[in-house]
Amino acid sequence: MYIELRTPDERMRGPKAVDAAPVLTEVLRAARDGSVDLSRLRVVCDWIQYRQNFRDPIGLRLVEPWPLEAVRASRNGDGELAARSAWEIAIDLRRATDGSLDELLHTLLRGETDTIARVPLEPWVPGSRSIIWGFNALYWKALSLWEQATGRGYEQALPGGKSDSRNVAAAQELIQQLFDVWDRLAARRALPDELHVLELGVGNGNQARVWLDEFQRMDQESGREYYRRLHYLMGDYSPHVLELARANVTSAHGDRVSSLVLDALRPTETLGFLRYKAFLVYISNVYDNLPTDEIARIGGHLYQVQVRAVLPLAVASEIAARLGVGAGDLPDLVSRLLRLGPALLAEVSPDRFPTVADAVVFWRSLWEGLRLDERYVPLEALDTYDVAPGVSGELLRPIALSSGDVRMHVSNGAAASFTDTLPLLHPLGILQCHDLIVTDIGQYATNFRGPGKYDGSVVNWVNGPLLAAIGSRRGFDVTFEAFAHRTGANVLTMSARARD
Amino acid sequence: MTDTATSAAMTLRSQPGHNGNTATATLLATSVVGSYSVPEWLERFKTDYYQRRISRAYLQEIHEVAIKAALKDQERAGVDVVSDGELRRDNDVDYFLARIPGVEIPHLAKTFYYDYYDAYVRNPLPVDDDSAMLGLVDDLRFTRDYTDRPVKFSITGPFSLSRRVKNEAYADPADLVMAFARILNREARALAAAGAAVLQIDEPFLAGYPEQVDLAISAINTVYEGIEGPLKAVHVCYGNRYARPVWEGNYDFLFPRVLDAQVDQLVLEFARKGYDDLALFKRYTTPPFLLGLGVIDVKSLQLETPDQVAARVRKALQVLPPERLTVNPDCGLRHVPPEIALAKLQAMSQGTDQVRRDVLGQPANSSREPVERSESQPTGNAA
Repeated sequence: MYIELRTPDERMRGPKAVDAAPVLTEVLRAARDGSVDLSRLRVVCDWIQYRQNFRDPIGLRLVEPWPLEAVRASRNGDGELAARSAWEIAIDLRRATDGSLDELLHTLLRGETDTIARVPLEPWVPGSRSIIWGFNALYWKALSLWEQATGRGYEQALPGGKSDSRNVAAAQELIQQLFDVWDRLAARRALPDELHVLELGVGNGNQARVWLDEFQRMDQESGREYYRRLHYLMGDYSPHVLELARANVTSAHGDRVSSLVLDALRPTETLGFLRYKAFLVYISNVYDNLPTDEIARIGGHLYQVQVRAVLPLAVASEIAARLGVGAGDLPDLVSRLLRLGPALLAEVSPDRFPTVADAVVFWRSLWEGLRLDERYVPLEALDTYDVAPGVSGELLRPIALSSGDVRMHVSNGAAASFTDTLPLLHPLGILQCHDLIVTDIGQYATNFRGPGKYDGSVVNWVNGPLLAAIGSRRGFDVTFEAFAHRTGANVLTMSARARD
Repeated sequence: MTDTATSAAMTLRSQPGHNGNTATATLLATSVVGSYSVPEWLERFKTDYYQRRISRAYLQEIHEVAIKAALKDQERAGVDVVSDGELRRDNDVDYFLARIPGVEIPHLAKTFYYDYYDAYVRNPLPVDDDSAMLGLVDDLRFTRDYTDRPVKFSITGPFSLSRRVKNEAYADPADLVMAFARILNREARALAAAGAAVLQIDEPFLAGYPEQVDLAISAINTVYEGIEGPLKAVHVCYGNRYARPVWEGNYDFLFPRVLDAQVDQLVLEFARKGYDDLALFKRYTTPPFLLGLGVIDVKSLQLETPDQVAARVRKALQVLPPERLTVNPDCGLRHVPPEIALAKLQAMSQGTDQVRRDVLGQPANSSREPVERSESQPTGNAA
């Protein structure tokens, strides 16, 4: 039996330490009393920092056999493939001390998993294709309805209660870097007439406002006259958010700003005209909110983590009862909610949702109850797995093999967005991103990196080494550093610049 | 056209291949710039070599198989003057630096095969050591053994090589450039003697240093000193490392200083940036360089159509006579996936044939294998 504690140091010792001993004792006792083949049992303990997440305190995951293993088993006369499968028990150390662990563990290790009832909302899929991303997209599309229901804006719902978008010192530093590049180009008479800056994911426009105010002020002070050549493009997935951002900046900088609705995963579809022209692409808190798969290396083999969104039976029954339907009807209703949004859902189903607010209550209840079941499926032939369009899974090989067994995010959405944004950069341009980023694969072994639930949206830390590899293969140096203008923040600054 | 250039042009068009075929005895000869598509699996093997997971001998066998396939692709696409696709090279610089005596490379392993080495010149290079050849002739011979068509062989120019070296030996950086030029001159002579139909000096970094054109041209002239036989070309683009430009601008910076270059042909990038710079050839008529006209954008995975290629060639024919035009991609195809690279070359050949037939009244190149599009061929949206 293999036991792994993926837990930060401060949760293992010191004043914030969690007492893992009773948990491990219960695991060992349950293992002693159970019937599962212990040579095929893994126990993984995370300390999940997100109070809202997609896990129960304890869960069971099947590890499907790697093909060669199945062949060997067959040759050895062991035709029962399932017997060669392995199992992983996942425990959240933060919540596993509530007394229910012992009973659940015994249930799992007796092989009575059917007694833990769930209502599946989708088939098994790679993480990036789960309907949790449909919920995430719906949140940004119908943000105003969610905010109306909760009584607070999305920025207040972030863990720190605010983003770093209003940081003046950070804006000044970046603007000065641009001025230096433009001064050099101007000296060689190679400065374009229009100086393009792009912001992806504009939030409420505070970042743009602060940045443009500072730009204008610094330009006036230096007498460079760059402001009149500046073209600031704001791009966002949500027309509603974009409109808020526009309202924030147009009064002061309207003639320098354009806004575009675009898909962060495919910016060049909308911004093809900007190819090789953007001197700065600024991206804040976007990548950690884009779809991702997870892969795992277990016993030297690579696996894909497949997920299935479910509702615990008790939660499903309660929601269904409120609507006067059976729990089995929920998958269809969820699908309609994600397709139509709460406003239209109320319109087409007034018997179940008399008002839009009722549909939002349904939406929020689902979100609160949503869980993800997981299983491991062999990931064969990496070249057939696409990390993102144009990025083959082969890129993962050296990263996944750089250390021992590991489970990590593929950050497919971030990879797609990053890959499709780099061609927009001028040869001397810079892409700067503020986000939750893993900078070393080893960090996956010490902290839980998602998925966590924010208020209506999903958060996963971004796989920095993967983005660095993607950048490197495209001729960019990618660097990571702590956000210099606020101490104690988890947010890092990732920068990409052309090299050579 | 001067005697030299006329002679060079005729050389290109009538240069027999290894087995005596005159595959390019037509106007508007098509060619590649040098590199050909490097498939992902080949990148993996190359990286494995630079991380010492496979041997040099193993990698060499892989390269040879890949080169044979690249030659077959070019022939099938109807390219008149072919190359080995530069498939042996890790990148455009290190393949040369690692062979030049006196260049020190402390760490020969690489995370990714295409990365540049950190290279140093700590003492003046042994420029007069005739025994220290770089081994490029072997590459050329192998290529000629596997094709009947005339072969282009490209060399990265002394100026660009110097930009990737930390110079601790020469007080004047120009002296390092000229030292590289003298070393490459020996190699160029050997390549000419070994039957290269076209020698081409690539200066991928020059566009980023427009103030250094004089130095680069002097060095190019030194490399080509005493070379008789092959067509002498120079290729300048805006960079193609990782399929990205390193500089944006136009070819104004080359002129008029490039007129001093003792070369027969300028091979230039047009398809990506447009054809405004053709006006330079109207303005500067002497010497009458041949123009290697870029008609394929190698930084885009969108396929050109034969009609587009034909239109681009016709545009150039408004400025230059057909005797002074050859047709090629903007730059090397190394970053383009294999199936798209092949399709782009096919479009280039078919478009050029169209012009030969419609404008010049010449038959299509009979040396070309018929190419039929299958349903599995890319449409340009593959990426």
